[in-house]
Amino acid sequence: MSYEVTNVNGAAVVALTGDVDLQTSPSVRQKLLESLEQYTRIVVDLSAVNYIDSSGVASLVEAFQVSRKRGTFFALANVSTAAMRVLSLARLDKVFTIHPSVEAALAAQA
Amino acid sequence: MQAPQITPGDESSPATAAKAPGEERDHLGLIAEMTKEFAAANDYKAVAHTALERITKYVGAEASSLFLVSDAGDALVCVACYGPVDITGLSIPAATGVVGRCVVSRKGLLVRDVAKDKDFGAAVDEKTGFTTRSILVAPLAFGKECLGAIEIINRIGGDGLFNDEELVLLETLARAAALAINNFRLTHKIVQQERDRHELELAAEIQRDLLPQPSTRDFPIHGINIPARSVSGDFFDILTLPDGRIWFNVGDVSGKGMNAALLMAKTSSLFRCLAKSAEHPGQLLNAINNELCETNSRGMFVTMVGGLFDPTNGTMRLTNAGHEPPLLFDARTERFTAVSADAPPLGIAPDIAGPDGFPVQEVSLNGGTLYVFTDGLTEATTFGGGMLGIDGVRALIRDHADQAPDLRLKSIAGAVKLPGQSLRDDLTLLVAEDMAVAPLADVDVVAPPEAPADQQIMRIRVPGRADRLKLIRTATEQAAQYCDAPESWIFDLKMAVDEACQNIIRHAYQGRDDAGDIVIDFTRRGGAMVIDIMDFAEPVDPEKIRARDLNEVRPGGLGVHLIKSVCDEARFVPPPPGVGNLFKLTKRLPTKLN
Repeated sequence: MSYEVTNVNGAAVVALTGDVDLQTSPSVRQKLLESLEQYTRIVVDLSAVNYIDSSGVASLVEAFQVSRKRGTFFALANVSTAAMRVLSLARLDKVFTIHPSVEAALAAQA
Repeated sequence: MQAPQITPGDESSPATAAKAPGEERDHLGLIAEMTKEFAAANDYKAVAHTALERITKYVGAEASSLFLVSDAGDALVCVACYGPVDITGLSIPAATGVVGRCVVSRKGLLVRDVAKDKDFGAAVDEKTGFTTRSILVAPLAFGKECLGAIEIINRIGGDGLFNDEELVLLETLARAAALAINNFRLTHKIVQQERDRHELELAAEIQRDLLPQPSTRDFPIHGINIPARSVSGDFFDILTLPDGRIWFNVGDVSGKGMNAALLMAKTSSLFRCLAKSAEHPGQLLNAINNELCETNSRGMFVTMVGGLFDPTNGTMRLTNAGHEPPLLFDARTERFTAVSADAPPLGIAPDIAGPDGFPVQEVSLNGGTLYVFTDGLTEATTFGGGMLGIDGVRALIRDHADQAPDLRLKSIAGAVKLPGQSLRDDLTLLVAEDMAVAPLADVDVVAPPEAPADQQIMRIRVPGRADRLKLIRTATEQAAQYCDAPESWIFDLKMAVDEACQNIIRHAYQGRDDAGDIVIDFTRRGGAMVIDIMDFAEPVDPEKIRARDLNEVRPGGLGVHLIKSVCDEARFVPPPPGVGNLFKLTKRLPTKLN
């Protein structure tokens, strides 16, 4: 599991890679909350996520709630099949803003 | 303290010492009298004080006290005393001091000089300013138990020494006292149980009142709720607006018992209260979700289908929050359409819906009937012993399609509720009819349950730690592949096992790295994959391991929802000896015929 934050025209693109589970989700949560402090636009790239569990989903929900309260932009992009399965089982696929690609997400909020 | 009068001449002869003025010591009389008093006592504490006073005066001592082992078993607490210093409420660590030694050995002790006794703890004397010289102590032994001890302190007069005869006397009285205390506790327990039962009945009655009155036969919506225990975690409601439109819902609270019942009461009140001002179910369920999240703790959640029905044209707007998909049945074509869930269960995360609330689906009955039910129906046990399942539900709906709606609900529920037996889970079923149509149906046969044949695939044992979850997922993947599970299911199984193990790590083992192992058995049983997940923590609730309580799932709302979404069955079952908890997941494999 790893993550990388890239600044794309003032927006943070947080790319998660590997398994987001009980072991790794605390650091993902930390990274997302940190990014929320520094950026007003955040796109989480989930293309390389092989697995995400309820604690990982909870981190995404928490970040989503923080951004909603602040009126900032928070979207998921390029969601892998595995991550989409969990989001749809949790019925959160219609809750998050989801874009087919990072580019589309960045374009959507511009 | 008034010391008893002691006749000086008797001091040299211990056997006849401490004769009260004008009477010979009458051990037998005292024993008979005090045993009688103890036996007649409603509250031993009231009798204990008088008894201590009498025995102290009778023996000719300064003080006495009665200690009982605390509920937790880690302390001895003074519940009554007699003497110059009141030590009622004093607590000393169990197994310490002369009293502790007496309780542990369950033998009476005679300590002539405490200064020479290694067990004597001077701490109490230091606190009270009382000087203890000699002690006589007898255990409150009852059967194999020792409830505590009675001690008498400081013989007055003579050589100041207690004698063996007095020890025997105290032991005899202590036995009578122990019997009285035990009786009192038993009675108290029965009274408490009776009170609990009565309160539970009251709760059940209040809960029944929260459900709507039975609808008249010409009304388009009917519901039925059968609790597995006296109180239910399921509910439904029907509420007609002044303009004739009808709000309805079916809900299911995660977990069972009183917690679930209280959350049910809260949710159904919210529904009734907020429905009056909501425009559509997406808005209503969103408002309920936010309210529940504000106060809901312990990871409990509610799945719900909420709808607003217009009987004039047979259309409705529906929102499904993580609930079993309702079935729309058209008796003319015998076709079923499922209305899937578009919103997450309520109470998991607040403020997740947009300004319009959760997604809403427009459903037109079009001459058909909508069935909304809880998993108490799909997971109910049939007469054949198998689980009804969604196909069984469809068959029952077809079988009873020609009955009037109120009778039909009873027939369907009656098909899974065996006479004289409790359900394993609460069962709720609601039907909404397009009144224009009188359906007819053929009869289908429910497939008989297949005979299971176990085949062990693999057993793994790993430390219950977060850094082992990936290993567990890999093992699950291999086991599922071995069972020829379809590719799309392998991920789901992996997730279900991961979430179940997470619950163990987070809650049963409380996140401690060395708390214990997790053992997982993968078995192919007939047409199903069965995964037994075992931990070695304290049982979920050792007092209440009864079959129908075992759906009680530990906190962790979203994880539990994920497990329940992908498994045919997920519940706690009684664990084998030496195992703390056994959580059983079942996923039926697709048969070639399907």
